[in-house]
Amino acid sequence: MTGNKRTRAGANALLLAVALAAWAAGSGAESLSPSPGPATSAAEGGEDFPVPFNPLPKTITPCRACHGPEKDFKINWTREEALRVHTNIRLHHGGVRVWCLDCHSAEKRNYLLPLSDGKPITFEHSYELCGKCHGTKYRDWRNGIHGKRTGYWNGPKTYHLCTQCHNPHRPRFRPIKPKPPPKRPRSPVEASTKH
Amino acid sequence: MSRRKDDAASPSGNDQQTGSGTADDPKAAGGLEKKAGVSRRRFLAGTAGLFGMITVSSCSWDEFFQQNFRRMTREEIDQTLARLQAQYKAKYGKDFVVGAEGPIDGTLFGYALDIQRCIGCRRCVYACVEENNQSRDPQIQYIRVLRFRDGNMDFEESDLYYDPDRVPQEGYYYLPVQCQHCENAPCTKVCPVQATWKEPDGIVVVDYNWCIGCRYCMAACPYMGRWFNWADPVIPAEELNTRTHYLGNRPRFRNIVEKCTFCIQRVRKGRYPACVEVCPVGARKFGNLLDPASEVSRILRDKRVFRLKEELNTQPKFYYFFGL
Repeated sequence: MTGNKRTRAGANALLLAVALAAWAAGSGAESLSPSPGPATSAAEGGEDFPVPFNPLPKTITPCRACHGPEKDFKINWTREEALRVHTNIRLHHGGVRVWCLDCHSAEKRNYLLPLSDGKPITFEHSYELCGKCHGTKYRDWRNGIHGKRTGYWNGPKTYHLCTQCHNPHRPRFRPIKPKPPPKRPRSPVEASTKH
Repeated sequence: MSRRKDDAASPSGNDQQTGSGTADDPKAAGGLEKKAGVSRRRFLAGTAGLFGMITVSSCSWDEFFQQNFRRMTREEIDQTLARLQAQYKAKYGKDFVVGAEGPIDGTLFGYALDIQRCIGCRRCVYACVEENNQSRDPQIQYIRVLRFRDGNMDFEESDLYYDPDRVPQEGYYYLPVQCQHCENAPCTKVCPVQATWKEPDGIVVVDYNWCIGCRYCMAACPYMGRWFNWADPVIPAEELNTRTHYLGNRPRFRNIVEKCTFCIQRVRKGRYPACVEVCPVGARKFGNLLDPASEVSRILRDKRVFRLKEELNTQPKFYYFFGL
């Protein structure tokens, strides 16, 4: 398994030009389902549910294209306000104590930090990492209480993952514009003047 | 008033008169004869008029003599659906699917809404309008989103017409109200013609063709969950939803009552209602109350829930819960 991963990492380093393929293969190696589209993940508890494939923007993936051994960026272990090239990210998650490397793996940039089993978490399965801190929300989400599902109430459902509703860097929802209010009923005065 | 009083006061006197008085009294005899004559003439004229009305009006013979949906045989239902499809094709120029799917065995639908999540954006209101072919003008919207000040639960002080730039606003919470699909539904009890009833899967429906438009049900409903078509509904043709159900979102007409049906045309096929699917914050939950693994059952088990106006013993199947 580790040998396989090492060769894959090596292959990625060699084929930097083929950025897109590397992302798909890198994530596919872990999730056992390389095909895009709804993948099936057997989460703990024996419940299978479809996980929509939600690729990261191609401009920033694969992360290893920059954060690979050949570029050899220095790893910043401490918080830094300026996020250098990641100017689109405004980190607003858990106050000032949460930092990039609290979720992203420093060594394996294509993955997220592992749970206690040591297996790196792919971006597709980020909800496993979210559940590490947000345990009660994770439980509710798995029970269908938190979050959103579409599809069939008695059949296949599409699950909305944490990161499809919440921006992981800025999880709080931003206010949105409401749809217009209903029309007020015409008052007797108005009605009499109109006729 | 006085006549009734007389009748009540002297029933025996009247009886005596009928024996001796009517035959002899010319006035009384004439009255009787005249009455009989007019009533025959009226009967004939009325019948002719009725035939004429049916022929002249848009209402077809079949439609006029259509049975209450619950008393129709399978054959009659099929004929009705075919007739409606042809009628809608002629009126709107679109191919409609008018279904009459029955309840799924072992289901009792329930709904749960997380009032700590709802942000009052009214997406559900408009998704419902589009899914259920509600009239745009005059406006009919099955869902009312009420805005309350934090800590206040007085409906009189809630605001239906809030219109800020952005929601949610600080210091407010939002409570959408629609038909609560009561187990003990007062609206179905007051209907003088039994045009509205609770289906076996718990959905309260209206047979629009049987409704006489008396609006007793609207008076009986404590949740303002019913709407009356004061005028012919106006819907842009391109916005018509052609996947319909007889008891649900098929096009309606003037002078009848309509209401939320949990999107009967969707849920009877296993799909979620439109409002559930559109909610951007996932505050709306729908499922089978009889299935212990359904989302709604889990919410009832794990979360704090309440229903509106429980003291009225209407037993709504629409639960509000606190998700946090």
